[in-house]
Amino acid sequence: MTNLQEDSSTEQVDRKAAARFVPGQPDMWVFVLFESLLFTGYFSVYLIGRIQNRDLYLQSQADLDLRFGVFNTIVLLLSSWAIARCVQASREGAYRDALRDAFLTIGFGVAFLVSKVLEWVKEIRLGNTFTSNEFFQHFFFLTSIHLLHLLIGFIVLGVAVYQLWSPARRSQQLVETCATYWHTVDFLWALIFALLYVVR
Amino acid sequence: MSTRAGSPVGRFLWNFRNHPKRELWFAWWVMVIFYQLYGVLFFLVTRVQPPASPAWDTPMVVQWFNDRHFGLLAGFGVVFLISGLCAPMNALLAYSMRRMSVSRVFGYSYLIMYSLSAIPGMFVMAIAMTVGALRPDRDSELIHWLFDFAFLSFSGTMGVFMIGSLVWLVAILIDKNGVFPKWFGYLGLCNALTEVVVAPAWIFQRGVFAWNGAIAWWINMVVFVTYTVCFIVLLRKMIEREDFGTGPLPDLPPKAERSQPDSVGSMQ
Amino acid sequence: MSGTFNKRLAIVWLILSAMTLVYVWLDVAVDQNGTLKASTVVTVSAIIIALVKVRIIFREFMEVRHAPALLRRLTDAWVVLMAVCLLGSYFIGSALAS
Repeated sequence: MTNLQEDSSTEQVDRKAAARFVPGQPDMWVFVLFESLLFTGYFSVYLIGRIQNRDLYLQSQADLDLRFGVFNTIVLLLSSWAIARCVQASREGAYRDALRDAFLTIGFGVAFLVSKVLEWVKEIRLGNTFTSNEFFQHFFFLTSIHLLHLLIGFIVLGVAVYQLWSPARRSQQLVETCATYWHTVDFLWALIFALLYVVR
Repeated sequence: MSTRAGSPVGRFLWNFRNHPKRELWFAWWVMVIFYQLYGVLFFLVTRVQPPASPAWDTPMVVQWFNDRHFGLLAGFGVVFLISGLCAPMNALLAYSMRRMSVSRVFGYSYLIMYSLSAIPGMFVMAIAMTVGALRPDRDSELIHWLFDFAFLSFSGTMGVFMIGSLVWLVAILIDKNGVFPKWFGYLGLCNALTEVVVAPAWIFQRGVFAWNGAIAWWINMVVFVTYTVCFIVLLRKMIEREDFGTGPLPDLPPKAERSQPDSVGSMQ
Repeated sequence: MSGTFNKRLAIVWLILSAMTLVYVWLDVAVDQNGTLKASTVVTVSAIIIALVKVRIIFREFMEVRHAPALLRRLTDAWVVLMAVCLLGSYFIGSALAS
């Protein structure tokens, strides 16, 4: 890990696309790759379970509202877009814009959180809980553990905001590291959405 | 000088008496030996891991105990004997936090938490299983009770380990002395999260979230083993780098310069 | 300069969102009047589309485009690995179940 480049990305601005840099700490990439594998494990278990019990899963899946899923995905994509813009802005020294984008990211994250809770309440009202059946075990498990990552994401975004706030800090690498974490939350959801809501 | 160079035994004895890092190395070796023993005892001798199923009926559980009668008694007998090996291991980990630039609260909290963790993580299962195995003609319902008690306490009480992991990882992430690489802090987050994942074992008697489930046990175990191997290697590196100062921990010199990092020669 | 970057990011977002909406079409096409139907085509497509999204997020949002070769290849390898695991689980699971 230590032999991957850790150039300050401000130098990148001068050398355009010619120079290559690792976005954020390489350490965070270890986390991203490891966590993706872990989730892939969970997804594989889900898919195998699904095949054994197709009818049950299809029937339970009918209780899910695709609109929630699509809304959540789009909102999280918006949040990723916002934090990506934040990283660009911060790289160019436009810290007010960067802060605004960081707050936007948090806002979209909160929208996801609220929507997720509403969806859970709706499912529970329909009588579908964690212990209802195998499909809902997976549904609540995957969405909960993802939500936990999102909540940790708020702390991570808090670190980014803290960095951007004062000229005494503003470590570009740390802001990029935080962004890398947040994008992971986003792409994990892209997979979860496809597997829980769309897959037949 | 000539008495110190030469035989491995001579070198070892000199190190044993004079090496400034001997306590650290002792703790590290205790840790390695402990984990090897733990693995052998729990997986091969007593065969309580991989875990049996919570979905079994009472006759199957009694059969399970009978199949393992001698292994349980002998294996856990050894566990009771070696349980004290945990202490140097936890001390080494707490020491790593003391070497960091963070408050000592981290090290002390970790030490307390992990001292307690041996109870659900080792003792309760050992006691319940040996009690169950001691009298095979005991009422089978009681044996089933002991079975549930052992496995639930072993798998379900991940809270201590999770909080301990979090304490360590936060310390690593805010540490300015670079005692551990940041990726290990993030890996600790993965580990802590998988410990959360075990929690549903309290609810389910079958399926992937039961105490023997694909998610609650198998995938969990892969993460835990990876994490453990990493910290054993990183603690070794820490000891090699240790300069007994309070500032940033120096990196090791490149391999060419160091043929024997902690032998007699390098201390001269 | 920020103009071109921002424009690129906006286009990436549009593409990803459009791909998300494709899912709605997929499901509507295969379900019959609200009854869900099993479909290998939908499952495989859904997984592949998701993984393409993941790669786009890696390359564009996470800036792997500008990263050294090791990271580029590693993230691509990861996408392939996930595809193998997910599609493998699906097909092997199907083979075992039938």
